[in-house]
Amino acid sequence: MGIQEQYISEAAGLLSSGAVKLVIGYSEGSTTDRRRPVFVRTPAEAERLMLDGACVANLSTYLLSEGLLSDGKSVAVFLKPDGIRSINILAAEAQLNPEQLVIFGFDIQNGQARPLQGRKISDFTPIVEAARAAGLSPELQGEAERLEHISAAERFEYWKEQFSKCIKCYACRQVCPMCYCRRCIVDVNQPQWVNTSSHTLGNFEWNIVRAFHLAGRCVACGGCDRSCPVNIPLRLINHRMAKEVLDAFDYYAGESTDQKPVLATFRPDDPETFIL
Amino acid sequence: MTRILLKNKLDDCIAAWRSAGFSVLAPVRRSDLSRFDEVERSADMALDLVLTERTIKDHFFPQTEPLVKYRIKKHDIDSQEMLPPDRKRVFFGVRPCDASGLAIDDPLFGWDYRDEYWFKRRDNAVIVTIACTASDDFCMCTSVNLAPDSTKGSDVILRPLQNGNGWLVEALSDRGNALLEPIASILQEGSESPAPSASVPVRFDVEKVMEWLADPASFESHFWKDISVRCIGCGSCTFLCPTCHCFDIQDEGDTYTGIRRKNWDSCSFPMFTMHTSGHNPRNTQSTRWRQRIMHKFNYYRGKFGVNSCSGCGRCTRQCPVDMGITETLQAITNLPK
Repeated sequence: MGIQEQYISEAAGLLSSGAVKLVIGYSEGSTTDRRRPVFVRTPAEAERLMLDGACVANLSTYLLSEGLLSDGKSVAVFLKPDGIRSINILAAEAQLNPEQLVIFGFDIQNGQARPLQGRKISDFTPIVEAARAAGLSPELQGEAERLEHISAAERFEYWKEQFSKCIKCYACRQVCPMCYCRRCIVDVNQPQWVNTSSHTLGNFEWNIVRAFHLAGRCVACGGCDRSCPVNIPLRLINHRMAKEVLDAFDYYAGESTDQKPVLATFRPDDPETFIL
Repeated sequence: MTRILLKNKLDDCIAAWRSAGFSVLAPVRRSDLSRFDEVERSADMALDLVLTERTIKDHFFPQTEPLVKYRIKKHDIDSQEMLPPDRKRVFFGVRPCDASGLAIDDPLFGWDYRDEYWFKRRDNAVIVTIACTASDDFCMCTSVNLAPDSTKGSDVILRPLQNGNGWLVEALSDRGNALLEPIASILQEGSESPAPSASVPVRFDVEKVMEWLADPASFESHFWKDISVRCIGCGSCTFLCPTCHCFDIQDEGDTYTGIRRKNWDSCSFPMFTMHTSGHNPRNTQSTRWRQRIMHKFNYYRGKFGVNSCSGCGRCTRQCPVDMGITETLQAITNLPK
């Protein structure tokens, strides 16, 4: 039995026994190469689930939908290693109780979906360790290094050009599991803290606010980058922040459910004198 | 005999229009984004795209635009309107859906008062449309009573020749005729036949959709919750839409001086309908998605006699979660009677 059949049958079983109230997975999309998120509530609907190499979205975003987990009932969700790391962060930031989750873990290798062993968040510790060992987004290394080695002025021009394309649709924010604020700073309008205009200054403001809030939290799922309708390479910014946090604090986001958030913690023996 | 513009005469054509005082805008691919931008030569153009990622609406109703510069004095206010400059522009290689989008929005911007920011740009623009010989899985013009060779909103329509060497040229308006004058000697007479238009399947029954939306019982239907459950509430579909036109007015500056700006806004955002009291009449994503569909295929036609959709398909093509108008309208079409 392939992974898709195996997970469909297990998901249907969980729904019919009442072990979970909902399964969040993937189904057929509007073209043959697209998969779309699907919310399955009955065993019969489980037949709609699909799992293959085109299932790329990080579905952990949906877990913080208002009221979804507040009744204490369990939900099953399909997650790649990046999504599993997202759950670790959301649990560490007290946004959800991972005991309520049944995780259908999978990884994509050579365009094929492969099962990951375990159903509870704690089962995936070795998977996260392996992800850390594999290094930060190797596929971005080339472009990231090119940007490191050009002059600051050239780099500024590059990002100015990229950010000038931004239309402030906030797809990057809405698709991100880490952007869970009920009211984002850019929507705080009494007074208006951040310009709503999507001119060069306003676009820099938004993109820098976003990047800073993701430092030490982004799991490089690439959702923002894929969602951006104007093709801003947002992953490169996230990658730079992740590298900074790894180099400076030996910190890899989403390692466990009790990992202290890097920008919200300190140690009394910190060598920097300004801390204490 | 009809007039023909050969592709190898395109540079002469651009030069002639530029000498006649026009800026020429065409589809380009710059900084990894396809859009309309100024060109100086045909090599800059990306005419092989089915559709640019951004619409030409951006050049008539920009994402942010200054309206008024103001200074508040002790007993007086100085203000200065910041209308767009008078600039004659040719939009070359527009797709019929984008050209139609402009025509759909014209009555909106001229309804209770005339929006000079829109019409100053509209009146100075000539739309040269190229009929589509290719389409993709998201095109849906034929579902909204338009077509790959619709002339709505266009001043000139170019129909690609069968042999791929150029286009049959047809002026559709006085502005179109006037635009052909500076290039009269560049055009040729010919009798070549045009290539067949793209074949775009009809994806939903818009008549049935309109009927269902107009039924008051549909407003509270559970359908809206089911269809929009995966919507993440971004504004991508509205901002890429050739007809979405909602905006917000913002003042930028300090207490005494600043610029009042008109910025795009989106019915997808909770803030769009948030009242000062904190009450929000559209407090769930399903009510916001319902509004988007109702506005396009019920309210807009009630007011202006036309649907606010030209079938470009960008809402679905670029949706982060593969939603869009097509799926929703297909689902309405398939609802049991």
